Parts: sequence; C-alpha cells; structure tokens
Amino acid sequence: MVKVKNFIDTPSQTAGPFLHIGCTPSITGINIFKDELGSTPFTDISLNEEINIKGKIYDGNNEPIIDAMIETWQCDENGKYFNYQGFSRRVTDFKTGEYQLKTIRPGNQINVDGTIFPSYILFWIVARGMNSPLITRMYFDENEIKSDLMFKNFNIQDRLKTLIPYTEDKKNFVFDIHLQGKKETIFFEF
Amino acid sequence: MIKKHQPLRRFPDYKSSIVRSPENEPLLINFSNSEITGPLFNKNILNENDNNLILNFSKNGEKALGQEIFVHGFVTDENGNPLKDVLIEVWQANAGGKYRHQNDPSNIKLDENFGGCGRFITSSDGYYIFKTIQPGAYPYPNRGIEWRPKHIHFSLFGSMFLQRLITQMYFEGDPLIKSCPMVNSIPDINARKLLVGKLDLSKTDEEKILGYRFDIILRGKHQTYFENKIEGS
Repeated sequence: MVKVKNFIDTPSQTAGPFLHIGCTPSITGINIFKDELGSTPFTDISLNEEINIKGKIYDGNNEPIIDAMIETWQCDENGKYFNYQGFSRRVTDFKTGEYQLKTIRPGNQINVDGTIFPSYILFWIVARGMNSPLITRMYFDENEIKSDLMFKNFNIQDRLKTLIPYTEDKKNFVFDIHLQGKKETIFFEF
Repeated sequence: MIKKHQPLRRFPDYKSSIVRSPENEPLLINFSNSEITGPLFNKNILNENDNNLILNFSKNGEKALGQEIFVHGFVTDENGNPLKDVLIEVWQANAGGKYRHQNDPSNIKLDENFGGCGRFITSSDGYYIFKTIQPGAYPYPNRGIEWRPKHIHFSLFGSMFLQRLITQMYFEGDPLIKSCPMVNSIPDINARKLLVGKLDLSKTDEEKILGYRFDIILRGKHQTYFENKIEGS
C-alpha cells in the first residue's frame, strides 16, 4: 500500500445564509459591480437549442431549501467546453425554493479512446448547513447512463433515476434534488 | 475514508448540517472534462474600487465605519505554485455584525456606506489584496444562541471546476474560533489553522491600517480520498 503525500488544500466552509451579498449582490440591493457572474450560461441561445430547467432542493425534512446557490457548468451542443461560456449561477427563491435555468442541451462528449459518454450538466450546490459543496450531474437519458461504464462499477442502478429530470416535451425539465431519504440524489466526489 | 482536512458534511454540533447532508457516501469517480475545465475571468470585469469595501458602497465619498484593515495573501496549488487569474469574491457583516441582507434578523444598524462585498483577481504571482473593515461577531441560533467568530467569506474560481472553493477567513486571536462548530467540523486540527488570517504588520508604513495575511491553497488534479490511492493514479 502506497501512502499518499499529505496534500492539504484550504478547507471548505459553509457559504452561509447570506451568500447572495457576495455572489448575487443585486438580490440584496447591492449594485456596485459591472455585471453579475453567470447570469446566463450562453449569451446566444437559439430557440431550437433552448431548454428550460427548474426544480427545488429538498432537505432531510423534505422542505425546499430557500437559501441555496447552484452553479452549473456544461459544454455546448457539440460537447465542447469553453472558458467564457457554459457557466451559470442560480439561487433558490426565498419563498418557494425554486431555481430556474434557461440554457442549451449539452452534446455528448468523446473520450480520448473514442468512446462517447452521455451528456450532462454539472450542478455545484452550496448553502447554509453545507460545510462543503454538493456536486451532482443532471443527465438526460436513464438508459444511456445505465450502460455507461462509469456507473457500472457501482451498485447503484436503482438510484440512477435521481440524475434524470422529469420532462414531457424534452424542452422543459424539472430536476429536483433530494439530500436525504428514499429519493436521495447521487452526489459525486473526485 | 474521509479527507480529514475537509469538513464533515454531517456534523451534529452544527445543527443545520443534520438535514442538509446526504445519508449516502458520495460516488468517488474520476474527473472528466467538466471538472478540469471551468469559467475563466479577467480584470475587465472589475471596477477600480471592487477590492475596497471601505469605499465601494460609499454614498458621498464617506468611508464605512469600523476598524479599517487590509487582507492580503497568495493563492497557490498544493505544491506552492502560484495561481494567477483566480477570481476571489468576498462578503461579510459590517462592524456591528449585521449583514446587508433581507433575511438577517439582527436589529443592529446597517451602515449606509457599507455593502459588504468585493471582488478581485490574483496577479501573476498569485497575490491578492483588499481593504475592508473588521466585521463584527454576531449571534445565531444553533444549540441555543451561539456566536460566530468574526469572519470574511471567500469564494474562489481557479482554472478548473475541481478547484472551486468557498470558505471563511477567521481572525488570529479571536476566542470564538475554538467553540465554532463550523470550524470544528474539520477533523484535522492543523487544517483548521489554515482558516485563520494572521496579524501582519509588514506593510504598516505603506498602508497605515492593520493587516492580515491569509494564504489559500486550491487542490490540483489528483484524488486524495483513499489512503491507499497512489498519487497521480
């Protein structure tokens, strides 16, 4: 067994209930910056690519979390990541706990060995009560991820549906995130 | 099987973590393109005073009230290499411990010249500096009323999403740090010390206000979760 070098990066701490002041200041009436980060993931979203995602984050009491921030990160429709677009920052509504995101459906990505892996949007979540961020992914097709090698290593086939949003028209999606209980969303570490 | 230098997600002394932490272990997976890329920011997004919280919300050129301080330091990776172009966002309470936020129930007065947020980008040697006022400690409901040590929230974007970090800086010598459950959620006592900004009088002549030094280390492209995982694998 090889002992790893003792890497220590700065510990995470909760973003707290007032994260809006620093991250989305206009919500708290502070308008001093040139612009707010991540107000839209793509500046140019054509109608035929556009998708709408909304949802809530439920805590262990099944209450929606009203003070969370979600950052999303994704590739474009061709599976390509850029460093100037693809990022969004959303907060959950103070009353309803709902977040909303208008974006484009990301394309499949290609591994170095030529295999294709399913498209997804990364969700990075912080809030009061979360000592470190929770990371999940919204995929689009349950069958696609069931056959994905990455998930085959884990005995979680019955939980994969937590990574799939509800949709009737493949344009409007509801992606709820559950922190605990039977519907607990799959979260990732790297 | 935990990173002892990172906080436990579920730490019952911090009550709201009990219902806001998953019951299952997270899936440890290899990172893919979404983790080793990320949004990059440059100085074009900044206004001149974005890193001066004493003045950036000023009404008539008046300064925010409180003990003026500056906070500075270097952002590096775990090997000490400087990280340039890291966007840092900060936010904090005013000198009385009150946040400019509609959900802050405190009856402490707002300071009309203090917004409480700033942002800046590290230079080529990983350096950052900003000016602010010393935030006040404040009570919050936890196990009864408890007190948050004085702190400044920090949010950092490195060059990839893997490095994304939100944390808090505390102030050297603050007696409230020891009993703070958020700090104590970090199992490794030495790692807790990384969150404490150190009094730094090195630029006293130049800045003429009290200084604090707070260096920040962002993780690199390796997994450190398992004790028996070989570095770089």
